[in-house]
Amino acid sequence: MAAIEARALDVGYGGRHAAVKVLAGLDLTVAAGSFLSILGPSGCGKSTLLRVVADLLDPLGGSISVLGETPHAVRSRRDVGFVFQDSTLLPWRTVRDNVRLPLGVGQRSLTRKIEDRSTELLELMGLGGLSERLPHQLSGGQRQRVAIARALLGEPKLLLMDEPFGALDEITRDRLNDELLALWRRTGTTILFVTHSIAEAAYLGERVIVLAANPGRVVKDLDMRSLKQEGNRCRREDAAIVAAMAELRAALERAT
Amino acid sequence: MRQTPLSPQMTIALPVLGAASILIAWQYILPLLGVPAYIVPTPTAIFGVFQRSFALLIDNLRPTLIEALAGFVIGNLAAVLLAVLFVHSRILQAAYFPIVLFFNTIPILALSPIIILIFGIGMTPKIVIAAVICFFPTLVNMIRGLDSASDNEHELFRVLSATRSEIFWGLRLPRALPMLFSSLRIASATAVIGAIVGEWIGSDKGLGALIIQATFNYQSDRLYAAIVLSSSLSIALFCIVVLIERRVIRY
Repeated sequence: MAAIEARALDVGYGGRHAAVKVLAGLDLTVAAGSFLSILGPSGCGKSTLLRVVADLLDPLGGSISVLGETPHAVRSRRDVGFVFQDSTLLPWRTVRDNVRLPLGVGQRSLTRKIEDRSTELLELMGLGGLSERLPHQLSGGQRQRVAIARALLGEPKLLLMDEPFGALDEITRDRLNDELLALWRRTGTTILFVTHSIAEAAYLGERVIVLAANPGRVVKDLDMRSLKQEGNRCRREDAAIVAAMAELRAALERAT
Repeated sequence: MRQTPLSPQMTIALPVLGAASILIAWQYILPLLGVPAYIVPTPTAIFGVFQRSFALLIDNLRPTLIEALAGFVIGNLAAVLLAVLFVHSRILQAAYFPIVLFFNTIPILALSPIIILIFGIGMTPKIVIAAVICFFPTLVNMIRGLDSASDNEHELFRVLSATRSEIFWGLRLPRALPMLFSSLRIASATAVIGAIVGEWIGSDKGLGALIIQATFNYQSDRLYAAIVLSSSLSIALFCIVVLIERRVIRY
């Protein structure tokens, strides 16, 4: 079963008729358990696509199924985790209580029981000693780690990440890239990862798609698996990766 | 060029010295300039009233304190509840917020006689005036505060399938608290003003009444003592609000 199956998907704002189309006729199939990077210029609808998958936005036309069901059904069951560009931590909650947020809200719609794995997740994300800190006492990288731990608490089958490392410095970003890949290998979660960075998209994705703007559509679909070793492993400076980046850059330049 | 910051000792010492210099000038220079005591009594004369007429001052402080506190609690509570209603019903907000806005433009001094007509001359009208004067800033701030959570924060709760009440208690209300407290600080001073204005118009008890009586009887030292007491009351309320704020808002 595909994790995501979108057919002729139209998404826009301003109602069905006077709509500004952000995505037009988008076709996309994402295999379960895969890591998809989404690249594109500003305004191409990368974030919008994630929001449709997460049931935060209704499409105007076409069809989309997530894990074989409607986005609404999947969201209600809480099979989706979302990580925003700004960590969106609640400043009045400690690190641990931020990670525990999924335990405190939305339980009514839930059929399965979520366990409090906050201690384990904080350890996993290297935040063990920081659990009683408040968000403003953390660095940008630490805040994103907390946001990822929070998204993972409910053991989502699908993790949507909207430029999660966009505001971080290069070194921190590279480190978090590796941590994210390790996490993905362990959990088998399907990840949709939106980014502005060609290098990041190529390094992380088993597959990279490039969206063009006005209206948003897929203009490049690059399978990275043959360029990488088993387990989606590669080095940033591998010749094949560098060549793929050049190819993506060319597509992105045409799309902008 | 930026000035170098003051040392911690100086940031405390300088305001104290500043106040002391004013008090000394007031005590010794003003009489030399021929300002009569019935217009500006000296600080020692005012302090003398606190010694001589302490019971009288406290007797008049008590009703003002009760009225200001009750008005503070009622006015702010009503504002918070209405703000909650407004942010959950855009229709109600669109229909009634302009009326509240209009109501707010009526000067409290013009409104007070009507309130006294309605509620008589007991403590109730003073409490109502204090409540009315607290109400509006808190309403506006609370509406803004409850709406101040970011789109991402709302989306975060929606992804988690949070209910409306979970969003309210878990997101909107904590987001609103800093703004609520900034209006409560303002209200701590205005509630006292409301109570005193109410007492001016129709009362024989309270600091407001004492101010009016002292003015008409040319008891300037007593008038000034009542003013000092009123402002002390505001400061005390303000400090209580700030103390609570520090405990509630840790970030």
